[in-house]
Amino acid sequence: MLKQKIKPYTLLIIFGFALISCTKDIDFNQVNDFKATPVIESSLIFLNEPANQFIDDGVEIISIQDSVEIDFFNNGFIQDNLIKTEFVFETNNSIHRGFQVQVDFFNESNQLVHQFIFNAIASIDNINVVENHIETFEDSELVALKSTRLMVFTLSVLSGNAINENTLGEIQLKSKGIFYLNIERDL
Amino acid sequence: MKTINILILFISWFSFSQNKQILYGFSEIPQSLLLNPGGEVKNDWYFGIPLLSHIHANIGSSGSTVYDIFADDGVDFNTKLRNAINSMNSTDFMRINQQLDIFSGGFAFGNTYEKKAYLSFGLYQEFNFLAYFPKDFAVLALEGNQTNINRIFNANHFNAQTDIVSVFHVGYNKKVNDAFTFGFRGKIYSNIINLSTTQNRGTFITQVGENNFYNHIFNLDLELKTSGLASLTGDDSDFEAKDLKKRILFGGNLGLGFDVGFTYKYNDKWTFDASLLDIGFIKHSKDVENYKVDGAYTFEGINPIFPNSGSGQTADEYWSEIEEDFEDLFTVDTTATKYTTWRPAKLNASLNYAFGKKTEKECNCLKEAGGYLNAVGMQLFAISTPKQPQLALTAYYYRRLIKGLRVKATYTIDSYSFKNVGLGLSAHIGGANFYVMADNFLEYKNIYNAQSVSLQLGFNYIFNKNED
Repeated sequence: MLKQKIKPYTLLIIFGFALISCTKDIDFNQVNDFKATPVIESSLIFLNEPANQFIDDGVEIISIQDSVEIDFFNNGFIQDNLIKTEFVFETNNSIHRGFQVQVDFFNESNQLVHQFIFNAIASIDNINVVENHIETFEDSELVALKSTRLMVFTLSVLSGNAINENTLGEIQLKSKGIFYLNIERDL
Repeated sequence: MKTINILILFISWFSFSQNKQILYGFSEIPQSLLLNPGGEVKNDWYFGIPLLSHIHANIGSSGSTVYDIFADDGVDFNTKLRNAINSMNSTDFMRINQQLDIFSGGFAFGNTYEKKAYLSFGLYQEFNFLAYFPKDFAVLALEGNQTNINRIFNANHFNAQTDIVSVFHVGYNKKVNDAFTFGFRGKIYSNIINLSTTQNRGTFITQVGENNFYNHIFNLDLELKTSGLASLTGDDSDFEAKDLKKRILFGGNLGLGFDVGFTYKYNDKWTFDASLLDIGFIKHSKDVENYKVDGAYTFEGINPIFPNSGSGQTADEYWSEIEEDFEDLFTVDTTATKYTTWRPAKLNASLNYAFGKKTEKECNCLKEAGGYLNAVGMQLFAISTPKQPQLALTAYYYRRLIKGLRVKATYTIDSYSFKNVGLGLSAHIGGANFYVMADNFLEYKNIYNAQSVSLQLGFNYIFNKNED
């Protein structure tokens, strides 16, 4: 009988100990070290036009300009976490004339804050010419980019032999933005 | 930080898996009738001590543990976090389940010599939370799309539901003969709060494009359904404690359900039993607010210089159109459409073998029939979820230690772990009954590394049949 009485008490004690669980070292403050560095790529502008698009009523177009309002940078999350941006351009030109692309960045008060220009050189015998341009925004350029509210695109046809309705070839422009984010714990 | 530690410890201690493998079949504890309404009844009547008769909670994660991510081991936190995310997939889940008996009781009835029918009843509150790991979106948020060109991000990785309900139940148990007992239980659910987003569809993908570097293809059909929430979070919310009381007592969105079960004794050693629980639904019609995002759009960039060859659109008009397309895609529609949720249905089954009659040393004689001291068996548990059902298999050993003290040890294999050892005991002193159970004992040396942990306890007053 005695033996039987001891058993349950022993068990209770074991049970009691088991309930007082142990832990190994845990540091929840590590959450303050949280850091994510996603890189987002997004298509930007593009064009793909045959040579005869640059003729208007028989007259050669020298340049075309248009603008786009940008609200993307007017955003707390982007302002705080965007640490670097690259605009990547690729041109494919098979027209016997060169082209110039100019991009102007204006802030809220319509002040020019940034500008860059790149060329697509003329093609010989309609053979496709590929060119690349990368515009990097860091430090002061990044500050300028973040203040941008309007972008103006100007496409100019560089001098050379005249273009007519029968001119062969086409000009293609592709572009993407690479946005480097650095999200640290502000959770 | 201390409070978090304490909170986590508290949750860990008061945690039980939805699978109550230790309580199942523990027929000396009246609450085992909630797991099988056709289980064996060993008392004449009982009442649960209000608010204390059944306290149950569970937290479990099939993926990474707290220790995996927060261990103070000198490894960079972000490395640990990324490893955890990489090691999990979209079928990994986190589940929290908690139950609290508000009141409960039961009594036998029938002819005076042998009361073969038993009626039990009660009101309990239950909290459920189940969320699957949204793997694709965790990856998108951490890495971005640059390294994931052509990867399909699936919207169905967003899958979560949570609710608080109160359940009023009445169960009937009938011992047909020595071999066969069956029972059923009717339930009325009163929903206090429900949030559910389980039917999400669609994808996001970045592909190499033709006109431009990339096509970004959005195809989204997402919906979050809520009931009982709008009146709490609304600006002019005047929700008070009395409203909560009203919702607990059938003032919420109501639902109906039932449990069924039986026990079959093949002989005095072999027993088979099974039950189906919470076959039921809740109809959400009051205080409903649903949020829906539905749309498809492919973005390849803009063509500001030749906005639309020939159409005469300016770049601005063209851009506005794109902006509208995006807005259409991401605009959240709010509706108050009624909806129905199903309760998580549960299946229990077990095969049991009793052995080892008690011998009295003084006379070396056997006690009366049925007085086996030991039982072993296998139990199967399954629960329905928005994805595939979750299963658990348990082997157990049960022993009557002395009069008034019974213990049960379990070994369970489930979605959380392959080595879950549980222990439970039920003490009976006079009419008073106290039971306590916990599982995942092997992980108690480092509770933070446990994938699920649990504790369950309760107090009853039981008037027993001629107890041995």
